[in-house]
Amino acid sequence: MRVYILITQEHINFYIEKIPPMPKTLKVTMQLLQESELLKASQIAKTDKALSSYLKELVNKPIYGFKNEVQDIAQIFGILGVIKSQQVVYNYMVSLLSPSQWNFFQLNKTTFYTFQADLSVGWQKILAHLGIKDREFEATITLLPASVIVSEALFCEKKEDITLLKSVKEINLNTILQRLCNQTLFDICETIAKKWDMEAKTIALLHASSGIKPANDPMCNTLGKWMHLFLFYTLSKPIYIEAGLNDFIEFNIDYVEDIYEDFALLMEVA
Amino acid sequence: MRAVIKNGVGVFHPQGFLDGNSSLSILSIEDIEATVKSNADMILVSLKKVIFFNRNGLDSFVKMFQKIRHKNHIIVGFCDYDTKKYNAINKFYKDDTSFSLFLNQEVATLFAPNFNKEQKNVLLYSEDKSQRTALAIELHDNGHNPIIAQSQKEFNQKINLKDTYDIIVKDTFLGQTGQKVASRVTGNAIIYTVSSFLDTEIGSTFNINYHENSLNVGFRLFIFDAYKVVSMNVHALNFFSKLASSSAEYNATICFVGMNFDKTPISFKETLEDSGIMFFEQMDDILQNKELLEELGASSASMVKNKRTLNKVMITELPNFIDATVSTIEMMTNAQAQKEAVQVDTIHVQEKDGKIASSIGFYGDIDGMIILIFPVEIAKKACELLIGETTEDQALILDTLAELVNIVGGKLKTLLAEHHISVDITLPRTYYDIASLMEVAQNKKGVQVDLTFNNDKFLFFLTR
Repeated sequence: MRVYILITQEHINFYIEKIPPMPKTLKVTMQLLQESELLKASQIAKTDKALSSYLKELVNKPIYGFKNEVQDIAQIFGILGVIKSQQVVYNYMVSLLSPSQWNFFQLNKTTFYTFQADLSVGWQKILAHLGIKDREFEATITLLPASVIVSEALFCEKKEDITLLKSVKEINLNTILQRLCNQTLFDICETIAKKWDMEAKTIALLHASSGIKPANDPMCNTLGKWMHLFLFYTLSKPIYIEAGLNDFIEFNIDYVEDIYEDFALLMEVA
Repeated sequence: MRAVIKNGVGVFHPQGFLDGNSSLSILSIEDIEATVKSNADMILVSLKKVIFFNRNGLDSFVKMFQKIRHKNHIIVGFCDYDTKKYNAINKFYKDDTSFSLFLNQEVATLFAPNFNKEQKNVLLYSEDKSQRTALAIELHDNGHNPIIAQSQKEFNQKINLKDTYDIIVKDTFLGQTGQKVASRVTGNAIIYTVSSFLDTEIGSTFNINYHENSLNVGFRLFIFDAYKVVSMNVHALNFFSKLASSSAEYNATICFVGMNFDKTPISFKETLEDSGIMFFEQMDDILQNKELLEELGASSASMVKNKRTLNKVMITELPNFIDATVSTIEMMTNAQAQKEAVQVDTIHVQEKDGKIASSIGFYGDIDGMIILIFPVEIAKKACELLIGETTEDQALILDTLAELVNIVGGKLKTLLAEHHISVDITLPRTYYDIASLMEVAQNKKGVQVDLTFNNDKFLFFLTR
């Protein structure tokens, strides 16, 4: 007899087990970036062809705003600086988890990288506006696309079931996961982040950005609101709506109410 | 984007920011048409999780609304907003609001033409006097009891009388309504409300699908509330004659109440009576007469003379029917469901107390009905994913059970399509006890399958 169970803790455990630890090249690159050794870091990064190619593709996206194409890794790290370079390396790590073929979401390699770039650059603008220069907080934004990858991995074979469920009830993937397995997409992203030795502060902000688990630290909580609102600002773009990302998690309007005016001014929402 | 369809209302739920670009990606005319095909008589866009919208963002929806309203005679508009958003929409569309605005989905449901609703006491207020009247008439026509506050002051006073009203209607605007023939359910009779001039338009404003679905799920008495009908022409006469003939195949009865023949040839009445349609002066002449109700078939489906039995295709496809049920239960409970005893007979429920049921009909290449019977506690478990919290609210549990059986219907449709069998599904129906189910199903022969998940038993019954 066929079994139609949607998702279980075993599925999640199996998925998490398959997530590789951070590759050695990346570990060394990260370490050198933390020590502000940009040149040395670029030399190590160059040895990883996939990483080099990713970095070139990402930073040459229009949103990064470089007039001329940047091809040299040392030049990329030099232009971005330490914190942003770390952010793009984290983005690369997350991209390693993305599937070669998307099934649940209408995404592909290019649109996913664009999503990462849109989030990273927009988040930098927000942190600059708030006057925050913090390596851990900069890194958090790279984990949001991981929640999309986790959703794809867990639900890719259940697209029809989810469509049916959503035709009778306004329900999102995060809620389904929480009700069936008592875990959210953000809990799974936390496990990934821990596997990659990311900082506790990065993870706390990730949870605050979910809109369902505010942080104890007021600063972290405020940033969580900004990140939550910014995520839905981004997910309201046609490319991501068409990809099916607009309602994969729930937008908590009440949570972001007190920062909305400031956000709208910054992003020139009209 | 797909709509959530419930009680005949299809609602799209965008999130975030709506401008001219994003709204075109959120909703297409194909999305709306697919929703209409799925038995929705009202199409709404929820603004609950929209933090920002501008005129361009709403305009693309409004253009689609106009097209679809004109073509399908359904109510279209927005819902789930606060006063700030309501004022913004009114400012954008000051003198040109062709669509409707409903404070929330519960309010919208009161105005849905084909929702099987119970009568509600509704406190109603609108600054606009003509809107107050229009809303009150529509509520009344849909079988509710509107209490109108004539001023903001009166509204503020009345709103404090808690427990007096079931629902408060404010910040609501009734645009061009669908002009569909409204319907409501009273007991086991369906009441359609018709008014003014009955002519060729009745063919497009009467929801024939809904009527057929109602026949399929066991309704046998259909009453046309015709108090407000001024006259009827020959096209409408033909329409009702045909309707009576097709309904007779199910042994259903059609009645007209309050029809006045001052401006309609009396010969029309004779023609309609020859087709089997009955005429009454007052609604209570039928609804308060239990014997007559029984005679007309409103208390039981057991009067059906031509009892239909399962056919070969249904038996061949039985594994698909069971599969659709089992897979839904497994999906909803995260537990493996198992088949136990199977028997072909009339429905047999051992312990009748504390059980609820739901059914869904299907029609097309094959037709019939699936019935699921659960002990209340097991129904709650089966609906946990959709409810999300522990509840003792019987109405909510029944409502969710309807959603569950809707998913079963959806899965069945897909499974049968793989075998090149095309079916459409009816709206789900729920029964708060076994007695009310038996009114529809007691003499029907079918396949009964006892199923379990986590050692919890429930019952599946397939019949025609």
